[in-house]
Amino acid sequence: MKADKAVEDVGESAKVAGGVTFEWLRQAEDASLLTTPARPTATDHGDSSFSVIEEFNYWRMQPDLAEAVAAIKALTAVIRRSQASTMMGLEIELKNASEALKAWDETSIPLSAGCDLFLRYVTRTTALEYEDIRAGKARLIERGERFGEISQKARRTIAMLGQDFILNGSTILTHGFSRVVLNLLKLAASNGKHFNVICTEGRPDNTGAKVAIELLAAGIPVTLILDSGVGYMMEKVDMLLVGAEGVVESGGIINYIGTFQSALVARSMNKPVYVAAESYKFARLYPLEQRDLGPSPCHVEFVEPVPEDAKVENTARDYTPPNYLTLLFTDLGVLTPSAVSDELIQLYL
Amino acid sequence: MYRSSSLRYESSHRDFSLRGESDEDYLDISLEDDRGWCKPSPGFEVSGSKRGFCHPFHEDRKKVLQERRDSTPNSVTFEWLRQAESASLYAGLKDHTISVSHSVRSWGREVVREKPFNVIHEFDSWRKSPDLAEAVAAIKALTAVIKRSEATTMMGLEVELKNASDTLKESDESSISLSAGCDLFMRYVTRTSAIEYEDIEAGKARLIERGEKFGEISQKARRTIAKLGKDFIADGITILTHGYSRVVLALLKLAASEGKDFNVICTEGRPDNTGAEMAKELVPAGIPVTLVLDSGVAYVMETVDMVLMGAEGVVESGGIISMLGTYQTALVAYSLKKPVYVAAESYKFARLFPLDQRDMSPAPRHVDFLVPLPQVVNVENSARDYTPPQYLTLIFSDLGVLTPSAVSDELIQLYL
Repeated sequence: MKADKAVEDVGESAKVAGGVTFEWLRQAEDASLLTTPARPTATDHGDSSFSVIEEFNYWRMQPDLAEAVAAIKALTAVIRRSQASTMMGLEIELKNASEALKAWDETSIPLSAGCDLFLRYVTRTTALEYEDIRAGKARLIERGERFGEISQKARRTIAMLGQDFILNGSTILTHGFSRVVLNLLKLAASNGKHFNVICTEGRPDNTGAKVAIELLAAGIPVTLILDSGVGYMMEKVDMLLVGAEGVVESGGIINYIGTFQSALVARSMNKPVYVAAESYKFARLYPLEQRDLGPSPCHVEFVEPVPEDAKVENTARDYTPPNYLTLLFTDLGVLTPSAVSDELIQLYL
Repeated sequence: MYRSSSLRYESSHRDFSLRGESDEDYLDISLEDDRGWCKPSPGFEVSGSKRGFCHPFHEDRKKVLQERRDSTPNSVTFEWLRQAESASLYAGLKDHTISVSHSVRSWGREVVREKPFNVIHEFDSWRKSPDLAEAVAAIKALTAVIKRSEATTMMGLEVELKNASDTLKESDESSISLSAGCDLFMRYVTRTSAIEYEDIEAGKARLIERGEKFGEISQKARRTIAKLGKDFIADGITILTHGYSRVVLALLKLAASEGKDFNVICTEGRPDNTGAEMAKELVPAGIPVTLVLDSGVAYVMETVDMVLMGAEGVVESGGIISMLGTYQTALVAYSLKKPVYVAAESYKFARLFPLDQRDMSPAPRHVDFLVPLPQVVNVENSARDYTPPQYLTLIFSDLGVLTPSAVSDELIQLYL
């Protein structure tokens, strides 16, 4: 009986949550019997916030895992270890853990977006009456563990949507290192499209070299240019394709420093600017200018020594307003920047 | 008056280079006889105001104005000539190994076997001076060619110089200021040689003297630009600069020395590290400097009040050719409605008209990406780009503060 009711509840909330099917549920039931990966866990409440961060770091070290997904997995671990006897108690624990994670890395937008999304999902779920807290917890755990798959699926969806925008013989400029963008380009290449890619150097993280190595392995011709060469090359480029760290309410994006500049140059020369971002990167932020972003300093190593008294502007990212973007490829579909706020409302309501 | 004007009409059909029977015609046109269409203002040559310039088709008029120009304080005076004559006796030639065994020295043909080699050596040795611009070094090298020339006619000298100039240009095809400097000096030589000199030695002396004074003119140009430009700097503003330009440095230092408070943001300037170089010069002058990555220009642009850059060359359209990254800096500034000022001396004005980025001669340079790269990756390593004139607000030059559209007028004046 309880199982049936749970199934029905799942079915109803599936329409809201966007994607749970019976197959899911079956997998979920299997998942709830899964044991957690071997990790030293603390069952004491007092250690929960500490272990949240450790858990998060552990998941982050997986090479292909996005930050938001790592955060969600960490929160899932919190649920697993939770000793709460009511859903409300569980919620409070999760909220504390989420705050701890966000406080640990204040500058990371995907992290906070991921935490917010998962908490939102939790709140929606707990609104449904569960007689058995264990069923509720199992459900949440299952959702959290499936999130990693969702993330992979999102990348595949985006790659499938985006590859149609790449034409044979086109030249694509990219900036920063984005796994979504790499997936997109590799899929297009494997489907037989011929195009070449220009990567910016991406100081100070040398993202250009990293992207070049990946693309060359997939057989895509790559040209590396300096960051100052974007204007010089733009006349030869057919489109700009970047990833995003976060997509904000206005439809703009927050991404690696230099994205705003590239998008500005591209729009001035009437080249389309495409952004590839998964839906869990949509964040409840509305920057009005560059300084509205929280500070996110990165270490810049200058080749030539710089005088002591000179200051260094070492922010790691910038905000690109929506009027410089053409389209966003997301797992929710191909959106215009103005459609982003609609989607955000859907996600967060 | 009618006689002289008819002579003007006649001589305009004459070949410019022939000097023959009509010496009196030229001598008749006195410097005071200004019956042309317009009277140049007193400060004509000094300030470069071109309202006094007349219809270009009148070559005699040109000669008159040339004489007038040369007689103004900035140019040749009798004292100059005296110094020039002593200079022509100057025996401090660097290279005594000139082969005197030139073969047939017929009219207009001098064998220049060793000359090309010497010209480039001379040029290189002048370039080692830290403060000397490329164009000035080129002109000094050409002056050295004149000094060593064995030509007996002005025409012969011109041909030698043209060969030397071509050799210099070939040695570094990508340098715009080099070719601009060579062209300017050749133009000056052609104009000068049109004026009759009874004595080739006097003519040579005059050219040598002019060439040697050019170094001073260059320094003076920077001071002029600094004086003109500093008025655009107000207290409390933030200036963004890209690339390493001595003119810009002179401007900023002058403004700072006069007590203005402003701060400067320098881009990193990969791969030449121009940002660090600029910071090293600005910090001792007491100017607060912030370094920003090349990608960070758009990020900081909202806090910037103006953009100030130098140029390698100023082209006919009024655009500039400058270090890679200048174009996108100007474009970002233009989009965010910040003024873009360029500081360039007049000898950088070149006879070029690029239509897109690839129209310039390629100027590749080595870029070290600081990480190991796979062999098969291509690298775009151009050293410079072209900024179209619509993204520039004003150009500070020693001819005055110009809008980009005024550049072509100035170029006509310089090169006619």
